[in-house]
Amino acid sequence: MLIAGLIVAAFLGPLFVWRKSDSPSVARYGIASAAAVVGAAVTPIGMGQCAFAEETSGVDHVLAWALMAGGAWLALIITQSVFDKLDGKKTGGGGVAGEIRTGGYRMGWWVPWLLLSPTLIILAVFLYTPAIQTFTLSSKLTRLGAPRSKDVCFGNFSELLITDPVRLVAYPLLAIGFIYAARLWVTRSTPDTWSRRGADITSVVAMLSAFVAFYAMFSAGGGGQVAYRPVYLNTVIISVGIVVFGMVGGLAIAYLAFRQIKGGGVYRTLLIWPYAISPAVAGLLFFMIFDPNAGIFTYTMESWFGIDVPNYRESAILAQMAIILASSWKIIGYNILFYLAGLQTVSIDQVEASLIDGASARQRFTKIVLPALSPITFFLLVTNLTYAFFEVYGTIDFMTKGAPAGKTSVAIYEIIRVGVNNGDLGRGAAQSVLLFLAVIGVTLWQFRTSGERVSYGGS
Amino acid sequence: MKYRLMVLAAAIALVAAACGGGADATTTTAADAGGGTPAATEAPGGGEPIDIDFWVAFSDEKRLGFAQDRAAEFNAAHPEYNVKVTSFASYNDVFDAAVLAVDSGEPPALIHFFEAATRQALDAVDSSGNKIFKSVTEAIGGRTEILGEPVVLDNVVSAARDYYTIDGELFSMPWNTSSTVLLSNMDILNAAGVTKPPETWGEVTAACEKVMAMTDAPSGCISWPNHSWFAEQSLGQQGELLANNDNGRSGRATEVFLNSKGMIDYVSWWKDLADKGYYTYTGQQRDWGGVDSAYLAGELAMMVDSSSDTVIHTEEAKDLGFELLASFMPRNENVPYVGNLIGGATIWMLDGMDTTKEDGALAFMNFFSNPENAAAWHQLTGYVPITEDAVDLLNAEGWYEAEPNAKVASDQLAAAANTPASLGALIGNFVGIRDILTIAIEDILVNDLDVATRLGQANEEANKSLSEYESLFGN
Repeated sequence: MLIAGLIVAAFLGPLFVWRKSDSPSVARYGIASAAAVVGAAVTPIGMGQCAFAEETSGVDHVLAWALMAGGAWLALIITQSVFDKLDGKKTGGGGVAGEIRTGGYRMGWWVPWLLLSPTLIILAVFLYTPAIQTFTLSSKLTRLGAPRSKDVCFGNFSELLITDPVRLVAYPLLAIGFIYAARLWVTRSTPDTWSRRGADITSVVAMLSAFVAFYAMFSAGGGGQVAYRPVYLNTVIISVGIVVFGMVGGLAIAYLAFRQIKGGGVYRTLLIWPYAISPAVAGLLFFMIFDPNAGIFTYTMESWFGIDVPNYRESAILAQMAIILASSWKIIGYNILFYLAGLQTVSIDQVEASLIDGASARQRFTKIVLPALSPITFFLLVTNLTYAFFEVYGTIDFMTKGAPAGKTSVAIYEIIRVGVNNGDLGRGAAQSVLLFLAVIGVTLWQFRTSGERVSYGGS
Repeated sequence: MKYRLMVLAAAIALVAAACGGGADATTTTAADAGGGTPAATEAPGGGEPIDIDFWVAFSDEKRLGFAQDRAAEFNAAHPEYNVKVTSFASYNDVFDAAVLAVDSGEPPALIHFFEAATRQALDAVDSSGNKIFKSVTEAIGGRTEILGEPVVLDNVVSAARDYYTIDGELFSMPWNTSSTVLLSNMDILNAAGVTKPPETWGEVTAACEKVMAMTDAPSGCISWPNHSWFAEQSLGQQGELLANNDNGRSGRATEVFLNSKGMIDYVSWWKDLADKGYYTYTGQQRDWGGVDSAYLAGELAMMVDSSSDTVIHTEEAKDLGFELLASFMPRNENVPYVGNLIGGATIWMLDGMDTTKEDGALAFMNFFSNPENAAAWHQLTGYVPITEDAVDLLNAEGWYEAEPNAKVASDQLAAAANTPASLGALIGNFVGIRDILTIAIEDILVNDLDVATRLGQANEEANKSLSEYESLFGN
């Protein structure tokens, strides 16, 4: 199995270089082939080929192949960038970065590394080393204070997935195929025709199909598998809710607060305060508001208006809404701050010109302000999503503890429950790796899709 | 304005990047509680006092404050030692921190750890494979007095002694020990025509029927936290084992029974109460505070609670103006009663200290639970008095005549037969197994699932979890 994979990698290497390079030479094909083989071989050899041992399942093989493909791909990208550098191709975009690179400074190659070294050392010790340890841990069954640990290979991952390897491979391939087909349709159709509109709608549906594919890939539980599908669904619902609520709300409030109003400075400062509160305190605050027994909101509604407010922790929808509300309230101040700063960069000239041309307030907002804010929106999208993925533990722990019946247990909450509270370090690490890959994946996807539409001004 | 905002935005971005996700510290340190008296910091002969770190899993003023005050008193009496109390948010936090501290070379002397994790504490080893904790009985070595403090270990009440005795000896020093009691709001029960607290499941259901039929009925009749401890208590009452090998007492437990008849009957009764609208689920697992506040707000006629708060709640009820009566935890009337078990925690001593430091730690532990202190601890909270001498002291003071509610837990434990079922189980990864059970029960209550089927799934999960634990820790 391993050998077969390496042979495939050896052939794919030259193919990759042929696609990317203008003038590939035979030597480069050889180097690429070797690099792909090395990249593909690193993980299976590092893991002692455990995935191809006798008692492994088809899912283990799929995961091992995916890892080999990833390794080969990474190795090829690095090789290609080395080739590009040798050819003297410029990498990276224009803008400030380009100016700095082409600027008048001439210094040794080591100077930037020297200046970066304090940060890099800290990152290496406190971030990269633990991250690598997490990867190692994720292939083990181990607990704190245990006299021994056991290697379980991909066991901590495969128990989160469906047990049928064919479907496991088919779902993502189908989703990717759908997305590419939709993009092809978009590029082939002419703008402002029904065909194009259909293509646009299809490409949105295709994007959503990726979410569905992941949903189908995770196990629904039973038969010794971990029911990770509900956790995935909760994470998607709650994260999307937080990002949409936080960003739309943040922009709306910032747009209103940006106007010239009396005492605007004080007002704007106060709006930013929720950001200074820790997620746990945000959870506690909303708990105090909505708690069925002691909550201010419930008490007021009941005693003043006679409305019996249901216990938000007993209904999945209410509980998820409460978490979204508390978490987006906490991040909204941050979004307001950046949007306020961003609004100051909107060109007054353009706004005035549009006023003369008779643009309505809505048109000014959608055609001038929103595009001008797109870099900030993109930045906030990434930071908000990171927040929604990683920093809602405290809020959830205070408000619902995952209730009702796990309906508000998102990925990060599950990681801490399994890895810290129950002391199952290997499983916790495996789920962390999964979340890590998810964030990388979503961010890359955002770079590809939003990146095209972000306007940084200038040329 | 423009630039200030930009700078502020940049600064926040930097702070956010620097903080990453690690902003939630769960532990708080009580600043050198032992150093409260000047005498504590000056050892005779000018030497520095020996630090004895005592890590406690309480963070409320009453309980943590009690530990800090006792430490200060001990330090004043023994200036050559300095007992330092550090507070942690939970038992698990204490344990994890202690195991990591052992490997980093600065372990505490004593830690406070709970009953369900007794197996885990006995099994724990450091990175070179040595046991982390030392048997307190072995360290005392038959002495009756250490540094002038009388040894009280042999005087521990039998319920706690029997629970924590493994292979014939007490490994840790029992501290906070409680049992489950029924706390009835007699004003509501009397109004509904119920004159005494119900004793059995059937009586609870009948009482609730009357309570909820009132025109000014409270929003619910009864509640208790969805904590595995209550189910374990119920198994003890019904005389059923939670794990094989006599609940893990005649050998390591290798199998658990989460879907035994006793468990299914208990959860079915529970679900029936919930379906009829008698049982109020706060919507959260292990929600002690939520049940407390609903009960004290008069929204419940009864709650099943840990006796650890009986004294506190009795006082609160007095302030709120209703009569609170404590009684035994309701039992299954269809099977003979066997016995309730204890819950709570003990103090574990870490291995590897030199004799002087170890004696200081041992002396402190025995001072901490001397009759006066043990009685005061009981009177402050409602945890059972942990030694026989403390019970005698309380009797002599006439405490129980004044506070009959405080005696219920001790009486209930005394009424229990000494069988493996009523002693409670010692199971590896008990914390994780408890979690599996509470999740299943929540699922049953919230999603209206079949009790036997869902508990069967939980049992499968729990046994997988236990066999994994045993493959790491077992022989």
